[in-house]
Amino acid sequence: MSGHPIQWAALLLCVLGALLRVPGVRRGRGRMIFAALVLMAIAVALSLPPIYLPVDGVLGGWNAANLVIRLSLYAVVVLLGLRMAAAFGAERVRTLIVGPAGITVLLVTVAATLILFALSDLPVSSTGLAEYAGQPTVEQYADIGRLYPGYVSACLVVPAATGSLRSGSRPAHRIACFLLAAGFFSVLCFAVLELFQGLDLGVFEVVLPFGAILLVVSGLTLIWFSRRRGRPRQRNPLA
Amino acid sequence: MAVTAKAFQLWRQEIAPTDSVSDLCRSAGIKRSTLAQQLVRGKVSVSTLLAVARGYGLDPVCALAQFEGYTDLLTGMRAPTSAELLSQVSHRDILKLLVARGEGIGNGLSDLDPFPHRNSVRAWVEAIDPGDLRQQLSERSGIARQNLSAQLSAGRLSPGLAIEASRIAGVSLTSGLVVTGLLTCAEGGWPVTGRADALNALSDTDLVLLARDRLDALGKQLRKADADENRDRAIWDNLG
Repeated sequence: MSGHPIQWAALLLCVLGALLRVPGVRRGRGRMIFAALVLMAIAVALSLPPIYLPVDGVLGGWNAANLVIRLSLYAVVVLLGLRMAAAFGAERVRTLIVGPAGITVLLVTVAATLILFALSDLPVSSTGLAEYAGQPTVEQYADIGRLYPGYVSACLVVPAATGSLRSGSRPAHRIACFLLAAGFFSVLCFAVLELFQGLDLGVFEVVLPFGAILLVVSGLTLIWFSRRRGRPRQRNPLA
Repeated sequence: MAVTAKAFQLWRQEIAPTDSVSDLCRSAGIKRSTLAQQLVRGKVSVSTLLAVARGYGLDPVCALAQFEGYTDLLTGMRAPTSAELLSQVSHRDILKLLVARGEGIGNGLSDLDPFPHRNSVRAWVEAIDPGDLRQQLSERSGIARQNLSAQLSAGRLSPGLAIEASRIAGVSLTSGLVVTGLLTCAEGGWPVTGRADALNALSDTDLVLLARDRLDALGKQLRKADADENRDRAIWDNLG
């Protein structure tokens, strides 16, 4: 088993989405989203055994690569969250992410992640720490890793969904907002559902998180295309 | 509200018994594929029907009146009201007249902007509204209020709704077809100089108040368009 097709699709889309933005980044445009896409590509790549195992080998073979995934995803979530909040003019969401409460949640999450990782016994490289699924600290480590993205996604679902319902917006933006809202909702569902011990999500174990990545990156890429093609509406408003 | 393909075919055989569908389309100046598609779906649009009537030199209103749902069209055709005529004058013409009167260089305009203009449909609906027009229209026709609003915002109103609105408001049944551009002034019984006459007949006070209302509405529209544009820009700047 070398990864589900949806994981490869997500990786491909992240890489493509990032490559599209390279010229803009060199002119100093959209750096945060570019960084988020690159980090997302790294995280997705490391979820695939053929990439995870060699990389973790280079890092020493004690599953440090999994820690890289977690921390990258936290950074992705913060970067995307901030840009989305600004894009949707959602001042409250910004406060929830980088206000005192948001920063506290982030610091606690990072600290808990590092501590739980240190407490776990992970002697041999294992993609997604699948071989250590029984360890309580590993379970909690995984739960925490889903909760922070779930928290930020929960903040973003409503502004994104509102954007998709706005009749005055460009159709491309409404579609993009819908994709983003659907993606955030998947992240939220995944974080909440995984909390229930013994609930077998089956194929959704993979489809929910990686589908979310596909949705979010598609939305971002659609907006990128829309900006490239977009011109101000030319009709004389006083005519 | 479109007419049924069956009724259309019967009517077609009456007005042009020997012409094929291709001949019909050529005379009417419409695309063959358009008509073919409408016939397959079983519904022929009013604009197609009117184009065919014009192509054969028939009076479009008389032609439409032969179809179910439109039979009261001829008897319900009257002169438009002054409010209806004024609703089809552009804000620029209103302001031109205001300035002209202020400068004392003439009391009337003769050359008005063509209509329908961008807000023709909504302006007309507001001009004939006895108070609960949208409510009644949505009850009688079964269209949801927000769908009706969406049509009006987009500057559209289906022929069936336009005529139903006229019925409710008690104005000429062809008015709605004129302001949606389906009928010309002459076909719909609107005098050619009607709009200019209604405008020029306004007192200074009424002219100023009309200008105020129009600018008010325009200002709101522009503010909304600006807000939409800013939102689009924020999305581009932050995520694009």
